[in-house]
Amino acid sequence: MSTDATLANITDAEQGSSLWKDAWHRLRKNKMAVGGLFVLMLMCIAALLTPWLAPYSYEEQNLILGAAPPSAQHWLGTDTLGRDLLTRLLYGGRISLAVGFIATAVALLIGVLYGTVAGYFGGRIDAVMMRLVDILYALPFMIFIILLMVIFGRNILLLFLAIGAVEWLTMARIVRGQVQTLRQQEFVEAAVSLGLSQWTIISRHLIPNTLGPVIVYTTLTIPSVMLFEAFLSFLGLGIQPPQSSWGLLISYGVETMEEYPWLLIFPGLALSITLFALNFLGDGLRDALDPRTSKD
Amino acid sequence: MQLVIKRTRRKQRTPVRSDRRRGLKLTSVLLCYLLSLLGLTACGDNENNVVSGNRQQILHWGNGTEPQELDPHIVTGVPEHHIITALLEGLVLKDPQTLEPIPGVAERWVISDDGLVYTFHLRDNARWSNGDPVTAEDFVWSWWRALQPALGNQYAYMYYAIKNAEAYAQGKIKDFDQVGAVALDERTLQVTLANPTPYFLQLLDHYSMFPVHRPTIEKFGEPAERGTRWTRAGNFVGNGAFVLKLWSLNKVVIVEKNSGYWDSDNVKLNSIYFYPTENVSTEERMFRAGQLHVTGSIPADKIAVYKKERPEDLRIAPYLGTYFYRFNTTVPHLSDPRVRRALAMTINRKQIVERVTKGGQLPAYTYTPPDTLGYTARDGFSFDPEAARALLAEAGYPDGDGFPQTEILYNTSEGHRKLAVAIQQMWKKNLNIDVILNNQDWKVYLDNVDNGHYQIARAGWIGDYVDPNTFLDMWVSNGGNNRTGWANSDYDTLVLKQSPTAPSRDARYQAFKEAEATLLAEMPILPIYFYTRNNLVRPSVKGMPANLLDYTLYKNIYLQAALPEQVE
Repeated sequence: MSTDATLANITDAEQGSSLWKDAWHRLRKNKMAVGGLFVLMLMCIAALLTPWLAPYSYEEQNLILGAAPPSAQHWLGTDTLGRDLLTRLLYGGRISLAVGFIATAVALLIGVLYGTVAGYFGGRIDAVMMRLVDILYALPFMIFIILLMVIFGRNILLLFLAIGAVEWLTMARIVRGQVQTLRQQEFVEAAVSLGLSQWTIISRHLIPNTLGPVIVYTTLTIPSVMLFEAFLSFLGLGIQPPQSSWGLLISYGVETMEEYPWLLIFPGLALSITLFALNFLGDGLRDALDPRTSKD
Repeated sequence: MQLVIKRTRRKQRTPVRSDRRRGLKLTSVLLCYLLSLLGLTACGDNENNVVSGNRQQILHWGNGTEPQELDPHIVTGVPEHHIITALLEGLVLKDPQTLEPIPGVAERWVISDDGLVYTFHLRDNARWSNGDPVTAEDFVWSWWRALQPALGNQYAYMYYAIKNAEAYAQGKIKDFDQVGAVALDERTLQVTLANPTPYFLQLLDHYSMFPVHRPTIEKFGEPAERGTRWTRAGNFVGNGAFVLKLWSLNKVVIVEKNSGYWDSDNVKLNSIYFYPTENVSTEERMFRAGQLHVTGSIPADKIAVYKKERPEDLRIAPYLGTYFYRFNTTVPHLSDPRVRRALAMTINRKQIVERVTKGGQLPAYTYTPPDTLGYTARDGFSFDPEAARALLAEAGYPDGDGFPQTEILYNTSEGHRKLAVAIQQMWKKNLNIDVILNNQDWKVYLDNVDNGHYQIARAGWIGDYVDPNTFLDMWVSNGGNNRTGWANSDYDTLVLKQSPTAPSRDARYQAFKEAEATLLAEMPILPIYFYTRNNLVRPSVKGMPANLLDYTLYKNIYLQAALPEQVE
């Protein structure tokens, strides 16, 4: 028994701590970030459990009731067609969070890989790849999305992917700039002289070093994607009634904000709380993941 | 080295503080945004459109949407109507109070005793805006143009009261000289009708019978060519009280007083600005902020607020119009009248007018509004979900099983959307069928409906004149405004043959009643409610009485602010 214990102790000490473990350790110390993470998890759980949590059906109308302020039956009130706002907010949250995360993940994946490759190899490859980005930048997003919708039809998943496919451009530029400065530095030269493969250098040494700005930008992308979705839906290109999303609920809420303020306030609150949580978490993650911060 | 420098810099600003600063900034941005929404004019200068407009006699008009075109022989919409009636003038005008015909380009007219021959004497001083005189030949040529099949004039049937016009429009006769419109001399126009038509003078004041300037049209293309540049500002030559000054797409259409107009001494307004106000909430805010004198409509939820707080701005008037949905009867599952009736019978119209539209509209169980010049049709159906389910089962979709996906098309507007969502849910609840909604810009929507690229499409019809005929003659087979693919020969006979030749008004209305019963039994359309005209009008707008057709005679309007206009 005693030998076992010592063995275990030794392994513990020798294991060293990985980048992620360190990061988690540092993140936990940042109260705002932990709070943000907690709120986000809560939102995600609520979105996942919506069908069981929602008190009513999201399309069930009660025209007789109409727009009613918050009450015991309808905690957040009802909209002008007498539909329960809490239910619609929960269902809308599913779509908003999904579009936010999926589209951003797509943008992140394409943008980071693309930017790193362009920045690392430089020269002609870089020139060609970045000119392609410039061309795509010049394409109006709306027309691109409308084209996609016309070709593939209206489909929520496609909408997510399409938004992601237009949001990666800035990400690619940011990452490329970062990688260009990083690859001049000694640690990359050291890695090259150690004979590491290019893929290992990119994935182990360059990408982790770009995470700071990438995460900050990601936390900004998620809200802009959510709003973009609302905009598309409003034009009839995104999700269609009776389904809803936070962005749509807000844009409808604005129309009647003087008569029925709760229709604007609650969706607005839901969106802003999520965005704040994301911002705090992003801030915390940036600090935590920065490999340049010393290990405590 | 680098690492150290970075670390010291990091220490200078602690993360918590930066968070707080960002939070504060965000909050203040949000606050400013909200305040600016609420305050609206708080930051602008004192003189808004209404005040300056009142001083300079410039009317600011919320026109609902961007006009599709300004060619009177192509358009079909109300927004276009508002602009075209300012730019062009027909043989007669209407008194905005009584809707009786009053002299327009024709200073007087003689009707033969049998009611078949109308002789119009055109006034000497009627001029086009480029100085050319308006002649009887101009009318004959314009009407010839309007009947060219290549032009695709959906209002061609408005001419069918004229002798041989129908045969000409359908290509049965090739010679326009046989059509009953003849210029006897430069100032005399003789029109011969197929049958005595009591509402013929009213037709003449509809834009589809307005004259157009021949040299201008020929300068920019073929007479029967659609979409040429003759309707652009600078090219447009009209004979109305106003001339087209500027047409800035999706921004504004500006018309200015036409000094060459025969009655220009009595035109008080200097210009009119027509704004494409598609979003009714935005329009209402523009009105409140003093950007508009007149709005196209008012958000349903605002009616109660205005009734209480600013009743002098609110105008609720009867309106000769029906809000309905068109079925595309060429779509397989909608070609079955049982399906169409089932869909019609499961909409609770009473709830819709009381809870959704909220503007005093009436539930519609017929197509022609009740008491249109003494004509009231029998209800064609009722709200009866039980019977509707049976009908749908009979048609092969018991409990909505296997009902193909169906789409409701509407032009982008908050009001249409709300109604469509309500109906979507009623069908879901009562018939267990799923429909999807699709909204499109006005021009795209019109194109798609014209070309039959829809399944169910929202529509509204405002009477062009006060007579049941304006509602019923549009559903004849291949009628330009039919657009449902529905054709019924009994209906055609009743509307086109029996009613025009009916010996008495009772007999005529009897034919209409039978026709409408056929229409409602087959249901190519689904009536929802009868309109009321709800909009906002500044008290300073004078000379614009409310009437059944929402007919505006711009030359009578003037702006006079009794007191400085109250603006929030």
